[in-house]
Amino acid sequence: MSDAQDRPVVSPRIDVQFDRPQRRYQAGDRVVVRYTIDECQGDRIHAVEQSMLWYTEGKGEEDLGVHMFRRVADPAMMPPRAAVGDFFAHLPRSPLSYEGLIVKVRWCVRVRVFFEGARDYVSEHVFEVGDVPPARVVHMRST
Amino acid sequence: MNASRTNPFSTRFTRPGRIAPLDGGGEEVDAAALLVRLAAVGGAAAIIGPHGSGKTTLLGHLADAIEATGVTVMRVRSRGRWGATNVLFALVRAGRAATVCVDSWECLGPVARNTLPIVARMLGCGLLVTMHLQSRLPVLARCRTTAALLERICMTLPGHDAWYGTVITPDDVEAAFARHRGDIRESLYELYDTFELRSRTVEMRRS
Amino acid sequence: MRLPRFFAKKRGHRRTGSREWGVVGDGLFHGILLAAGLFFGGLLISGVAAPEWRINHDYVESRCTILAKGLAKTAVQDPSGAVSTTWQPRLRVRYTAGGRVYEAWSQGTSAEATTDRTTALARLSRWILGSQTACWYDPTAPETVVLERGYNWWLWLLALLLPGALVVIGGSGLVRVLRAWGKSEERRAASAGLAEFLDPLMHPAPTAPGHPAVPNCDDLVNSPGTILRYRLPIESPESWTLVGFGLFAVLWNAVLLVLAVGAGLDLLGGKIDWWLFVLLVPFLGVGIGGVVLFMRNLFLATVVGPTQVEISDHPLRPGRRYDVLLAQGGAGTFRRLQMFLELEEQATFRQGTDTRTEQVVVWRSLVTDCRDAAPAPNARFESWSVMEIPPDAMHSFSSAHNAVRWRLVVRGTTDRCPDFTRVFPVVVFPAEVMPAPIAEQRRAQTEMAG
Repeated sequence: MSDAQDRPVVSPRIDVQFDRPQRRYQAGDRVVVRYTIDECQGDRIHAVEQSMLWYTEGKGEEDLGVHMFRRVADPAMMPPRAAVGDFFAHLPRSPLSYEGLIVKVRWCVRVRVFFEGARDYVSEHVFEVGDVPPARVVHMRST
Repeated sequence: MNASRTNPFSTRFTRPGRIAPLDGGGEEVDAAALLVRLAAVGGAAAIIGPHGSGKTTLLGHLADAIEATGVTVMRVRSRGRWGATNVLFALVRAGRAATVCVDSWECLGPVARNTLPIVARMLGCGLLVTMHLQSRLPVLARCRTTAALLERICMTLPGHDAWYGTVITPDDVEAAFARHRGDIRESLYELYDTFELRSRTVEMRRS
Repeated sequence: MRLPRFFAKKRGHRRTGSREWGVVGDGLFHGILLAAGLFFGGLLISGVAAPEWRINHDYVESRCTILAKGLAKTAVQDPSGAVSTTWQPRLRVRYTAGGRVYEAWSQGTSAEATTDRTTALARLSRWILGSQTACWYDPTAPETVVLERGYNWWLWLLALLLPGALVVIGGSGLVRVLRAWGKSEERRAASAGLAEFLDPLMHPAPTAPGHPAVPNCDDLVNSPGTILRYRLPIESPESWTLVGFGLFAVLWNAVLLVLAVGAGLDLLGGKIDWWLFVLLVPFLGVGIGGVVLFMRNLFLATVVGPTQVEISDHPLRPGRRYDVLLAQGGAGTFRRLQMFLELEEQATFRQGTDTRTEQVVVWRSLVTDCRDAAPAPNARFESWSVMEIPPDAMHSFSSAHNAVRWRLVVRGTTDRCPDFTRVFPVVVFPAEVMPAPIAEQRRAQTEMAG
C-alpha cells in the first residue's frame, strides 16, 4: 500500500450546470447553478465555497465585486457522501457583462473546494449578463 | 451577443507572479542556485535590469522560494516618500535570519540606500532588492531580455495553441520586442492590442 | 494622502508580514503627528495668542501720564553666529489701579518690535512726554500695563494653521486606525462611511444607490441649468488652472522682488552677495515664465470664453433621447464648434516604479456641429440638439483601477487661439429592469421563436 504522500496531486473535476444552457441572463434574473464534485482521489474535503462575482480583465489591475458568497462546511454535505450541490442568486442591476478593448467586465461563479492538508482547488465558470455589444477602437492614448 | 473572449495578454495572466521567471534565453530560472549564491554573498544582494525585464517577477519567485525553506520573508514596495520608513520597519519587524525583499530600491534616497543595508547587517537580516542600475549591493542576477524570452512567455499564456501562429505570429513578437527596445512589459501591452484588434476583425468577418 | 505602510501587498492573492504591526506603525505615525500639532499649537497659543486675548478681554482700562520713553533692545544669536537685534518702543507711565498709584514700563506688543532702530524711534516719537493717554492694566498683576490693544491676526493664523493641519491629519489617521483595529476587510468596507470622509483618497469613488459599480452622479445634478434642467460641470475647470498659474506667478515674483530689493540695497550699501545674485538669475527666469503662462491662459480664457452644457435630464438611460444645449461665450468667431458624445475606457496598472494609465475611446457620436459661430456682445452663442443613448449601450462603470466613462466633449476651433477641448462627464445608468414575470415571458417568447 503506497503512502498517500507519494501519490501525485490530481485536481478534482467540478462540473457546473446553469439553469440556462446558453448562460445568458439579464439584470435582475435569477441564476441557478448546480455543481458536481468528482475524482477527489480519496482526499477528504472539509469545506466548499460557492460564490457569484464580477471581475475586470484587460490592461488594468484586476478588480472584483462579490455578489454572493457562501461557505459550506457541514460534513453531511461534503463528497463523497454528497457530491452534488446547488446555489442561486438574483443578479443586481449592474454591472453588465462588457467586452471592452482594455476593460472587460465578466460575471462568473466559482466553486472552491478545500481539502484536508490546506490544499484547495477552484473551478470558475463565466456567464453573460445583459446584451451589450463588444466595443471597438475610436481613439487611444496612454500616459 | 458575442461570447466572452479572453485576451491571453491581459494583466491577470501576465502580471508578476503569474508567469514563472525566465532567463534571457527563455529557460526557467534556477531559484535554488540563486539562493545559494545569495547566501554566499552574505544575504544582501540586488536584482538589476532595465524597465520591464522581469525584476519584480524574479523577486517574487525568489521570495516564494525563500519562504518555502521556512525563512520569514517581508515584502516591501519602496514607492513614495515613506519608502525608507517602510523598509526600516520591515527590517526591524523581520528580525534575525529573516529576509526583506524590496521592490524599486532606486525610489529610496541615496542616504537610505547607503544606510539601510548597514542596518540590515546589524540586525542579521537578509536583504534582496530590485533596481535598474548597479549599486553597492552585490548583483545576484541581471535581468536581460531577448526576443526568445518574449516568445517563450507567449508560449506560457493560456490557449496559446489556438492563437499563436495565427492571431499572433512570431513576427509580431519580434517586432514588438524591437519596437519597445527589449521592454517585455510594453511588448506584452502591444501584443494585447494586436490580439484584441485582430480577433475582433476575425469575428466581424465571420459574422 | 498615501499612508506609510510597513508591508506592501504582494502581487497576487497573499499578504505577507503582520497586518497588526502595520496598523501599530500607522497609528504611531499619526499619533506623533497629532502630538506634534497639539504641542506646537499649545506653545503658540499660550505664548502669543492667549496673552493677546487676555489683553483685549481681561485688562482694565485706566488713564496714565507718560513720564519717559525708550527703546528695549533684544539681541539673539543664531547657530551660525550671526546676531540679530530687535528694537521695541517702551514708555514709563504713571497710572492708578485699584486706588493705588503705579509707575511702570509698558509692555510692548509683538507688532511694535522691529529690527530697524530708526523705525522704532519713529514709532516712539508719536508719544509725547507729559501727555495723558488711555492704558490698560492686568487686574491680577497691576504693574503690567499696555498702551495699545488689538489683534495681530497673522499670529493667530500661524498659531492655528500649521499646528491645526498636523492635528487634523494626525487625528483623522489615528481615528481611522482605531476604528479599523481588529476588523475584517469586509467589515471595514461595510462601515466605510466615516472612513471615506476621513480619507476619501484611500477609497474608490462612491457608487450610485442600488447600482453596484456605477458611479454616483450627485455631483453632476446639483447645478440647475438656466434653460434645461441641469447644467453639467466641466471635468477640469480651466478657471482653477488660471487661478493656479496666477497664484504661482504672484507668490514667486513677490519672493523674487523681496530678494531683488534686498540684493539691491546690499549693493547700494557696498555689500555684494554673489550667491544671491547667482540665484536670482534662474529665479527671474522662472518668474517671467510664470507670468507668461498666466497671461497666455488669461488671454485664452478671455477670448474663448466659458462653455456651458445643459441637459434635460440626468442620469441618462440607454434607449432614451435628451435635449442638450451648448452655450459658448467669448469674443470673436469660432470657425467650428462640435460636441461629441463619447464612451471612454480607462485602465490603470502599477508595476515596479511605473503607474500606467491608458484611455481608449470606443464609441463616439456627433451631437452638435456648428460653423462660424459668433457670440453676440455680452451674450452667448447657443445651439440646441437632441442626443440619443444607444439602446444597447454599456452603462457607466467605475472600480478601483478600471472605468468605463461617458462624456460630452466640446471641441472648438478659432482663428486667434489654439483649438480647445472641454469635457463634461455624464453618467449612464443601466436600462431599467423590467419586472421578472414580464421579462421571463418575453424571453420565453423569443427563445420559442428562435
